[in-house]
Amino acid sequence: MTTLADAEQAVREPDEPARTGGSSDPVVTAVRLRPPERRGMHARFDSTDPNPGWDVARHPKVARLLRNRRFQFMLILPNQIVFWAVILLGLAGTVVPGLNFGTAITWYLWFCLVFVMMVVVGRAWCAMCPFGGFGEWVQRQAFWKRTQKALGLGLKLPEPVARYGFLMSVVSFLVLTWIEETFNIAGPGAPHATSWMVVGIVSSALVFFLAFERRTFCRYVCPLSALIGTVGAMGSVAGFRTRDREVCLSCETKDCMRGSSSGYGCPWYTWPGSADSNLACGLCSECYKSCPSDNIGLFLQKPMTSVVAPTRRRFDIAWAVAVLWGLVVFQQVNATNVYASADSWLNRNLHMRYPDPLDYVGIIAAVALVMGGIAWLVQRALGRRDLEFATPGRNYLDRTSRFRAFFVPLMYGLIPVVGADYFARQLPKFFSHVPRLVPAVGAWFGAGSTHSPLYSYHLLETTGIVVAQVAVIGLGTLGAVFASWRIAGRDLASISTRPGVARVTAVGLALACGVVAGVLYIAMHAAP
Amino acid sequence: MTIAPAPELLVPTDASTSVTVLSDRCAGCQECVVRCPTEALTIDSSRWVVVADESLCVGCRQCVRTCPFSAITVEGPSLVTERTAVRTVEPERLEGDDSETRRGFTTWEDALAEASRCLSCPDPTCVRGCPTHNDIPSFIRALSARDLDEAHRVLRRTTVLPDVCSRVCDQAVQCEGSCTWSLAGGAPVAIGALERFITEHAPVPPPARAEEPAGLDVAVVGSGPAGIAAAWELAEAGARVVVYEKADRPGGLLDWGIPDFTLPSAVADRPWAQLQAAGVELRCEHEVTSEDIEGLLGTNDAVVLAYGAGMPVTPRVPGVELEGVEDASRFLDRAHRALLAGTVLPELDASAEGVRAGGAVVLVLGAGNTAMDVARSVRRFGGQAICIDWMDPRFAPVRPDELDEARSEGVDVRFNSTLLRLEGDGVRVRSAVLARTRQESAARRPEVLESETSVVEVDRVVLAMGYRIDPSVAPGLPAVPFVKTVEEYPDRRWIGSGILANPAPTFARSLPVGRLALARESARTNAAFARGDRLWIAGDALVGPSTVVEAMAQGRRAARSILAHRPSRARSGDGAGPRPVEPKRVVVVVDSLGGKTRSAGEAISRVLEGTGASVSVLRIQEATAPVLADADLVVLGTWTEGLVVANVGPSRAVRAFLDALPPLHGMRAAVFCTYGFSPKGTTAIMRNALEAHGAEVVAEAAFGARDLARRAEEFGEQVKSRLWSGSASRTSGGVRAVAR
Repeated sequence: MTTLADAEQAVREPDEPARTGGSSDPVVTAVRLRPPERRGMHARFDSTDPNPGWDVARHPKVARLLRNRRFQFMLILPNQIVFWAVILLGLAGTVVPGLNFGTAITWYLWFCLVFVMMVVVGRAWCAMCPFGGFGEWVQRQAFWKRTQKALGLGLKLPEPVARYGFLMSVVSFLVLTWIEETFNIAGPGAPHATSWMVVGIVSSALVFFLAFERRTFCRYVCPLSALIGTVGAMGSVAGFRTRDREVCLSCETKDCMRGSSSGYGCPWYTWPGSADSNLACGLCSECYKSCPSDNIGLFLQKPMTSVVAPTRRRFDIAWAVAVLWGLVVFQQVNATNVYASADSWLNRNLHMRYPDPLDYVGIIAAVALVMGGIAWLVQRALGRRDLEFATPGRNYLDRTSRFRAFFVPLMYGLIPVVGADYFARQLPKFFSHVPRLVPAVGAWFGAGSTHSPLYSYHLLETTGIVVAQVAVIGLGTLGAVFASWRIAGRDLASISTRPGVARVTAVGLALACGVVAGVLYIAMHAAP
Repeated sequence: MTIAPAPELLVPTDASTSVTVLSDRCAGCQECVVRCPTEALTIDSSRWVVVADESLCVGCRQCVRTCPFSAITVEGPSLVTERTAVRTVEPERLEGDDSETRRGFTTWEDALAEASRCLSCPDPTCVRGCPTHNDIPSFIRALSARDLDEAHRVLRRTTVLPDVCSRVCDQAVQCEGSCTWSLAGGAPVAIGALERFITEHAPVPPPARAEEPAGLDVAVVGSGPAGIAAAWELAEAGARVVVYEKADRPGGLLDWGIPDFTLPSAVADRPWAQLQAAGVELRCEHEVTSEDIEGLLGTNDAVVLAYGAGMPVTPRVPGVELEGVEDASRFLDRAHRALLAGTVLPELDASAEGVRAGGAVVLVLGAGNTAMDVARSVRRFGGQAICIDWMDPRFAPVRPDELDEARSEGVDVRFNSTLLRLEGDGVRVRSAVLARTRQESAARRPEVLESETSVVEVDRVVLAMGYRIDPSVAPGLPAVPFVKTVEEYPDRRWIGSGILANPAPTFARSLPVGRLALARESARTNAAFARGDRLWIAGDALVGPSTVVEAMAQGRRAARSILAHRPSRARSGDGAGPRPVEPKRVVVVVDSLGGKTRSAGEAISRVLEGTGASVSVLRIQEATAPVLADADLVVLGTWTEGLVVANVGPSRAVRAFLDALPPLHGMRAAVFCTYGFSPKGTTAIMRNALEAHGAEVVAEAAFGARDLARRAEEFGEQVKSRLWSGSASRTSGGVRAVAR
């Protein structure tokens, strides 16, 4: 379709071209923008650009759906209803955790589904999230309409914080998990604890939505943002991307970023013209709606493309992987008897309660630092000394070093096993207790009880669960081996003195992580 | 495309700026890169993130204003030399002195030094801020190259009054307020003074008359800035132009409304001297009334109404009917003639009989441009002037420079003061009762404190509270007066330029220059639309009291619209006469839900492209007034909204589009819809709405799902056969086309 700029060039007055340079608009005539830089564009994006044939938005019905402003509202609404029910029933419903709808759906089903979604799709949950959705409705003062007047201060997240990218989200995930462990919320413990946790998330989301512009909360603060961003990279939905980068580069309006009458500017600070992974695409479809050139598609991709293919890897994501790996290892370790003894001893001496912050932070930090240490050792052993790592920027994400050059690819390669580990952690609750949802729904109407056969029904017994967990870890390890092999082949081979050894080392690290996780699951014996 | 070279700047070398690109949010869209005036920004291709060369950064912060994601910050000073001072002259003896008080640069050195401050921004915000969109960087570049002919050529693209505008424009809220330095919190380039330097050192070239007559007769009613601009454009294109002016001299506001100490007569008279020399016929003392317009349309191909807004606003206070009370236009006209003739106004002159010592006391109601002109004129005739304005000085729209000049000339300007009543001896005004006012914010109406009054003895009162359009001249014209508006979703290219970024520049009195410019642009665009059959309207007659440059820009726009659409009295009315001119610019506007309507629009456009016309297919959101203003034919397509048989009609977006249509007299249109079950009266709704706005609908059709592309092509052929000669008319086959 012809763009507005084309139209304005086309409607030049025939007697005027010599005088006004071809346009009837004197502003257009006076604007002499430099041509955008295209050097390196192909090298930067060719490996990550999705297959044009995998653009599902080419299908008229999908296009119609995505163009509909009610699309995201309809995704959010059911979840909104469920989570307000979780809050209300957690506070006012039965105090039996397994029979309370709030705790049952949250901990037996929801968390598991979120992991399935992120592994398959990416940020599918973000598109339907009731927490961000609620904040966004308030901020926009509309459920689905495009409005101009935003409620709140519309601040930008200060650069000194924003420069750390997704690490703020990692920290908030650690804090939330510590709170959850401390109060045994996910146990599940008392239903009101789950309610207060959800209220806390909704409230903090609302505060951020009222203080800051766009989805600053989702992008930087949400406890799940970094987790979904990293694990979601395995997903088969590339997100909304440009169909033709040339059109995006020469676009005069950048409506997908600034918004137009049809849609908002990207709430996630992502430009489809340069997106190289699904890391920060919230699948909200606003860019698709606002693009004046119909140049944005919703693309599918092969699994793990966003793990393997990007040429620009982020240091914050690498540390996010290391820390998230530390957290899930902590969660596995704390189900063992050895940990219970150590934690009790610490708590007695420090007058603290489970989980002792020292061992909580200590184990996570130790695991993350071990990952960093391994990368440091690898670069010391294999890194080419003849290479200079120029520093293109001053801040955290921009700096380069030999350590970063090894650490970042190695951590990206571990994403599948880390994701699998988180998923496997959810399986005991799902397989053991998800049938309780039926009596929990019944209890809502006074019909369900702990005597219901479904209340005690397990989809899998302990051994079956352990097998499933190990199988999931096995799949994740296979994925990590594949990813590490590919990533190391591209990113480490050129900077290593012995490229083959570097690749084998990367694969070895992935295997080792898989083995550790698998062994721990066997040791845990399907503990929830 | 011409690429702006990076300018060589005279910048202090002992300071530096710091540029921080937040790489987490920088998407590599290059909005900053393509606009950076000094090429300090480029893209790091390995990361696709912008990087800055701080040694090249001058701190103009255009990157900060243009980044869609706020990913860039600049700290440190703006590295620009100080603005070269422009002289203001205070006459030694005010009485009888009509010499200009504001002067331009007198030396080339000063002008070149100031020109060197221009960054030659690739996306110049000053151009958007200028109401007529002068290509300011280009004429400053030409000036820097000492090529004044080229500077005039650049100016001529957009203005016919550079000498006038450089003197009377309030540049602080227009071009200079939008200068990138101004938006960055610094002192802008003295654009007005540079423009004036060009016109003072090389005369404004006369109209370049076309060699071949255009075969177009146009009547222009009014000889003010809008009339001048319209006549100039039309005359240059070879049209025969007759201008009707009710006064005995041409120029309108330029003649009677602006005193010589601001706009010398020699400058104000220049456009008409050149226009008459170029063959434009001027008929002074020829008032055009509403009854005459029909006659003018009968003898001309087009009529441009540019009669201004000359009805003074009169306060509803007791005593306003007393002798000694007059409106500002009459006073300024008398003052102008007296100063030209070297005589005095006897009612003000202290030496005249019956006038108090120290000169007559004149109370001027208002403190805007006109009020200042009146008060300063009073001082030049030996009178004492008191200006009162009920607004708080923080919010009053007075120009600070004009206020300073008036006060330095002895004018007593009182804000927070309003007139309660005038008292007299039964015949003449003798005193004025004033009351204090209080205004807490710009948005709030001042509150009158009737308990705090004072009495001022006055000899005369001049009403300078503003003007309005005389509704009797052209009653019933659609959308007149046009209210300047900023669209809810303004052109994102304007946002992209950074002109709308906050905070508003202090140099421009903290006014939102971008929004002001966008509002002005809405009026300029609207002047392109005919208000009736071959009838255009521009300037103050369209929008009410405004500025010289806005009126001129609108006059030019109306004239260019006439030249583009080529109306003819021979083919007007009942359709008799020669065939209409074939459309050259076709806009196919579609609102498509699933893609069918868009496909149909594209099929139609392919057929129409075969005529040689330029055809664009646009989404309904993109069919803005500027696009429609340039089009000869609009093909409007919609999907059919509704519940099978209930509420069936055009889509909501199309209905909103139809509701907001500008006047479309002379526009040809075709409408179509796509439907699933039944279109019912969808195309009829569209046809009726378009016709209600003055468009002529030449064809309409509804397409079902079957054979959509073929049917759309046949509809395109039908439109083609109706509007283009030599196009074979085909049978419409299965198309539900309604021949009209």
